[in-house]
Amino acid sequence: MRVKSRWLALLLVLGLVLAACGGDSGTEDDDAGTTTTTAASGGETTTTAGETTTTAGGEEPMEIATDFGVDLEAGVIRVGMLSDLTGPFGPLVSAILAGAQAYWDDVNANGGIEGLEVELVVRDTVYVVDTHIQYYNEIKDDVVAIGHSTGSPHTVALNADLQADGMLAIPLTWYSGWSDSDINANLVSHGTPYCIEAMNTIGYITSEVLDGATTIAIASLPGDYGQDSAAGAKLAAEALGLEVVYDGEGAIIPSDESSLTTVASEIVEAQPDLAWVATTPGTFSSIFGQALEGYSGMWSGPSPAWSPAYVAPGSAISDAITERFIGGTYTAGWTSEGAEAFHGLFTDAGLPVSDYYFEGVVEAKILEAALRQAHANGDMTRQGVLDAAKSLDNVSFDGIAPDESYTGADNDRVQRQGYIYRPDPEGLAAGTSGGRMDLEAFYTSDIAANYEFTGACYDLAG
Amino acid sequence: MNELILILAQTGTRETPLAAAISEGLSLGAIYALLAMGFVIIFKATQVLNFAHGALAGLGAFLVASFATLINFPGRYLPESVPQWLSWTLSALCALIAAALVGMILERVFIRPMIGEELFAVAIVTLGIDIALRNVTNDFIGTDPRPLGDPWGLNILDLGWITFAHTEVAQILVSIVLVSAVALFFRTKTGIAMRATAFDQEAARAQGINVGRIFSISWAIGAVMAAVAGIFVSVYPRRAAGVDPSTAFFAFKALPAIILGGLDSVGGAVIGGFAIGIAEAFVGEFVRFDFLGSGFAGIVPYLLMLIVLIVRPYGLFGTEEIRRV
Amino acid sequence: MRGRPLLHTSYEADQSILNTTTKKVVMALFLGFLVLLPFTGGAESSGERLFDFSIPFVGFLSSNDYLQLLATVCIFAIGALGLNLLTGVAGQVSLGHSFFMGVGAYTAVWLGAPEGPLLGLGLPIWIWLPAAGLVPAAIGLLVGPTAVRVRGLYLAIVTLGLVFIGEYVFRNWRSLTGGSQAGRSFQELDVRLWKEETPLIEISQDGAWASTNGKGFLMLLVLLIVFTVIAKNLQRSRAGRAFQAIRDRDVAAEVMGVDEFRYKLLAFGISSFYAGVAGALLTAFLGRTIPERWDLILAVQFIAIILIGGAGTVSGTLMGSAFVIMLPRVVQNGTEWLRAAIEEGGFIATIADPIVVTDPTDGGIINTLPGVGPGLSVLQANQVLYGLLIIGFLIFEPLGLYGIWLRIRNYWKGWPFTY
Repeated sequence: MRVKSRWLALLLVLGLVLAACGGDSGTEDDDAGTTTTTAASGGETTTTAGETTTTAGGEEPMEIATDFGVDLEAGVIRVGMLSDLTGPFGPLVSAILAGAQAYWDDVNANGGIEGLEVELVVRDTVYVVDTHIQYYNEIKDDVVAIGHSTGSPHTVALNADLQADGMLAIPLTWYSGWSDSDINANLVSHGTPYCIEAMNTIGYITSEVLDGATTIAIASLPGDYGQDSAAGAKLAAEALGLEVVYDGEGAIIPSDESSLTTVASEIVEAQPDLAWVATTPGTFSSIFGQALEGYSGMWSGPSPAWSPAYVAPGSAISDAITERFIGGTYTAGWTSEGAEAFHGLFTDAGLPVSDYYFEGVVEAKILEAALRQAHANGDMTRQGVLDAAKSLDNVSFDGIAPDESYTGADNDRVQRQGYIYRPDPEGLAAGTSGGRMDLEAFYTSDIAANYEFTGACYDLAG
Repeated sequence: MNELILILAQTGTRETPLAAAISEGLSLGAIYALLAMGFVIIFKATQVLNFAHGALAGLGAFLVASFATLINFPGRYLPESVPQWLSWTLSALCALIAAALVGMILERVFIRPMIGEELFAVAIVTLGIDIALRNVTNDFIGTDPRPLGDPWGLNILDLGWITFAHTEVAQILVSIVLVSAVALFFRTKTGIAMRATAFDQEAARAQGINVGRIFSISWAIGAVMAAVAGIFVSVYPRRAAGVDPSTAFFAFKALPAIILGGLDSVGGAVIGGFAIGIAEAFVGEFVRFDFLGSGFAGIVPYLLMLIVLIVRPYGLFGTEEIRRV
Repeated sequence: MRGRPLLHTSYEADQSILNTTTKKVVMALFLGFLVLLPFTGGAESSGERLFDFSIPFVGFLSSNDYLQLLATVCIFAIGALGLNLLTGVAGQVSLGHSFFMGVGAYTAVWLGAPEGPLLGLGLPIWIWLPAAGLVPAAIGLLVGPTAVRVRGLYLAIVTLGLVFIGEYVFRNWRSLTGGSQAGRSFQELDVRLWKEETPLIEISQDGAWASTNGKGFLMLLVLLIVFTVIAKNLQRSRAGRAFQAIRDRDVAAEVMGVDEFRYKLLAFGISSFYAGVAGALLTAFLGRTIPERWDLILAVQFIAIILIGGAGTVSGTLMGSAFVIMLPRVVQNGTEWLRAAIEEGGFIATIADPIVVTDPTDGGIINTLPGVGPGLSVLQANQVLYGLLIIGFLIFEPLGLYGIWLRIRNYWKGWPFTY
C-alpha cells in the first residue's frame, strides 16, 4: 500500500508536468510588454489653474520605446559583457574590457547617450560554453545588447537565443563567418577576420620583408580561430605561389606538451621561409623556443598569438622574436597614429600602457553608434537597437580602426584593412609602448583585396 | 635584412630525428622525474597523494619570476659586479625557501588535522588546496606570462650529432643531483624516521619520532621539488614566455610516472619519469599516422600506465599492500 | 501508531524512504513548490506564465535564468547520484566521471542530432536518452576489470587517465564531436514519437503556461525524481548493502560471501549509466558542447558535490549539487550586494570595504571592476571559496551538508533538551 501511494504521487507529478508542457505546442511567445515612456527632452510641463501649458521649446516631446535594459527614468542603459577574464584569453579580454570601460566612463562624463548613462554588466565566462550560455540567460533581461561575446563556439551557441530574443551582440572573435549574412542576423562584426588577417600579414611579409620567399609552414590550434587563420594562410600561399612545406592545421593542442614539440620539430624539418603559427601566447612561445635551435627563418601569426610578454624584460626570447617576428592585427596599438588622442582616457583611469584597450574602444564605439541611432529612431528596445546597428553604414573610429559598415553585400562589407606591426622591446621597457610598433596602418595586401568573400573560410559545422 | 634571414634559414643546425627524440625525451623525462619525486616524497612520509603538486609548481615558478625580475631580490642589494647568473641563483634560492615555507604552512593548516583520516579523504583535501592555490597564483600572475629571467637564455650545447639547450642540461643535472640527495637523505636519521612514519604513524610516535616535524619536512621538500620542476617548465624551450596558468597543469602528466614506478618508490619515480618522457618524445617524433589525429603522444603516458597496471596493479616498483581483515 | 513516529512494526516501515509523516508532508510541499515554480511569476517580465502571482520570499527563483540554473542543478544531481553510488556507497574513488558523461553526451548527439554534415540519426529522445546511459555503462563494464584490480589512490589515477584519453578521442573524432574548440549544437529535449513528427511534448519553444527553461526544468525534475528513487532503492537493496560492505572493508566483505569483483563491476556500470544520462541531458539542455567540456575540472566538480553534500547519502548528494551549482551565483550576488552596501555606507560598509575592491587604488580581496585590477575576480573568488569549502567540509564535517542538517534536526528533535 505504501509503495503504491508513493508511485501514485509520482505519477501525479508526471501527469501535471506533461499537461503543462504538452498543452501549448506551437504557441509563439512575444517578448515582455513593451513600455513606452515620454522622455522630457527639453520639454517642460507646467500646470496653472484651469489651463495646461506645454513649453516645448520648439521641440516635440519624443516618445522612446524601451523594453529591457533601458531605464529612462533612472537614465541608465545596461549593456551585457560576456568576457573571458580568467580563461585562456583572459589577459587579452581583461585589457579589452578595461578599454571599453574607460571609453564608456568618458562618454558618460560627457552627457552619455543623449543623457542616458551606459552601465556595463560584466560576467566572466572562463571561455566555457555552458557558463557562457548560463550567464547570457542570467543577464539577458537586464541588458539591451551584448557589448561583446568572447569566443566563436560560445557565440554560435548563443546564436539561436540571440535571434529568439532579438538581441544584438558584438562578437569578440574575428571568425570570418561573422561577416556571412547567413549566420550573423544578430551579430555585428568588426576588424579583419582571422582569414583575411592572415592574407594581409603574409602578403606584407612576402612583399616587404622576405622578397623571394618560396615556402611556408602553417600550424594552428583546432577550432574557429586557429583553423580560420590557417585557411587564410593557405589561400594566401596559393595566391602567392608559396609551397606549404608543413601543414599543421589544428595540430597544436594547448593541454598537450608533446603536440608543441611535434609542431616545432616539423617546422625545423620543413625549413620554411616563413612559419605562420595561429595559437595562444604560451604555446607560441613554446613552439618558437623549441624550433629556435634548428630553424632561423621568419615567424608570424595572427593577433591572439602575440603577447608583449615575449619582449618583456627578462624574457629569454626577446632578441630572437624582435628579429624574426612580424604580426598582424585589427585595431590600433598604443603607439599607433591616431591613438594618442585616447591615451588620456586610459592614463586617467590609472591603467598601465597596453595595446589592447583600443579593441575595447572600437566595440564600445560600434555600440555607441547603434544606441545613438536607436535613440534617434525612438526605439530603444532590444530589437530597435539591433535594427539600428544593422542600418549603420559608416561607423568611424577616429583613426584607431578602419571604418565599418553593416549594410550591403557581404563581399563589399567584409573588413580588409588591418595593421602590421613588429615587436618593440625598447618601447615596452621604457613604458612608452605596449610592446608593438606599427609598420603599416589600414593596410590591405593584394591577396586580401582580390579575395572574394563568399562565406566563412573555415566552417564551424553543426 | 631580407637576405640575412634567408641565409640564416638555410644555415640553421638540424638534428636527426633520433637525436631530437633523445634530447627531448631526456629533458621531458627529467621534468617528470622531478615532479614524480615530489609526489613520492610526500606520499612516502605522510601517505598523502598530493594533488596540489601542480599548483605548488606554478606557485614556485611564479615566486622565482617575482624574486628574479619583479622585485629583483636580493639582486638590488648586491654590487654591480656580481654576475647575473649568481644574483639569479640567489633569487631562485630565496624563492625556493619561500616555496618550502608555503608547503609547510599548507601542511600545518590543512593536512595536520586530517591525520588518521582515510587516504582518499586527505587526497581530496589536497585537491581543494590545488583549486584554491591555483586560482590565487593565477591572479598574481595576472594578465601576461611572467618571464623568469633565467641566466641560461637561448644557449645551446652542441655535441655534434645531438644538441641540448643549456636549460635542458641544467634540468638533467639538477634532477640527478636532487635524486642522489633524496636517496642519501633517506639514509640519514631524519630520512629513516620518515620511512618509519610512513610505515606506521602511531608506532613511529611511540618510538619517539616527532611525526609532526616529519610531515613538515616532507611537505617542504615536496614543495621545493615542485618549484624546481615549475622553473624548468617555465623557461626556454618549454615556455619561453615564462610562467602562466598552464604551468600548474603540467604536474598531472607526472601521475602516470609515479603509477609506473609505484607510489612509494623514489627510484621507481625517477625511472618512471624518464620512461614516460622518452616514450612520449619517441612517439611524438616517429609515430605520425593521420588516423591518430593530433595529440596522440600526449596520452601515451596514460596508455602506458594502464598497460602496466593490468599486469602489475601496484606499479613496477611499488610495494604490494598486504590485505588483512 | 499515532504519536510514536519512530516506532516501526515492520521491516518495510523501518526501511521506507519517507518514514515519518513530517517527512512526507515536507517532501510533498517541497515538490509541490518546485512543480509550481515555473508556472508563477508571469507579471514580472519573464514571459507568459500560467499564474501572475509569485511565491513569497523565493519567487525570484521563477525567473528564467534561475530556472535554467535549477535545471542545471537537476542534471548535475543525476550525475552526482551515480558518482555517489560508486564513490560514496561502494568506496571506489573515481576521477573519471566526466569521461563517462562525455561518452553519454556524444552517444546522444549521434543518435539524436538531425542528419547533416556531422554524424546524426535524428532519433527521438526515448531512444537516445536510454542509449546515452547504456553505452557508457557498457564501457564502464569494459574498463571495470582493470579498475577492479587496482585499489584506492591507484584507482583514482587510472580513472583520471581515462579523462585524458577520452578528451583526446573526443577532440579527434571530428565527424561526431565537431572538433576541438568548435564543438557542435544539439538542442533537443522535445519528446517525439518518431523522427520528423510534431513533438508530443514541446520543450524548445516558450509556451503560454511556462517558458522553455521552465519546461526544461520540469522535465529534468521528473527525471531527477525517477533517478533518485532508483538510487535510493538500490542503496537499500542487497546490492547496496554489498557496496557498503566493500567500502568499509573489502576483504571482510569477501569473507562474508560478497562477490567483490561482481559488485565493484556493477557499481562501475550503474555509475557510468547515471553519468552518461547526465552528460546527454547537459548537452541537450544547454544546446552546444565542445570536447574540452569533459575535462578533469568537471570530474573534480562531481567529487566536490558528493563530499560537500555528504558522501554516501542521497539527500546529501542532492543538497551538494544545488550548493555547488548555485555557489557562483551566490558569490556574484553577494559581492554586488556588498558593493552596493559600500556605496551606501554604514555598518556593513566597514565590513565590506576590506573584502571588495571598488576602485583601482582600493585594496581588497574580490574585485568587481571590469577588466584589469587588483584582487581576485568574482569567478576566481568563487573558485578559491569552492576549494576552501572542500577542505573545510572534509576537516570539520565529513558528513557534509547532510551532517549539518542532521545536527540541526537532532537539536530540534530533543529541544529543549540537548540529547
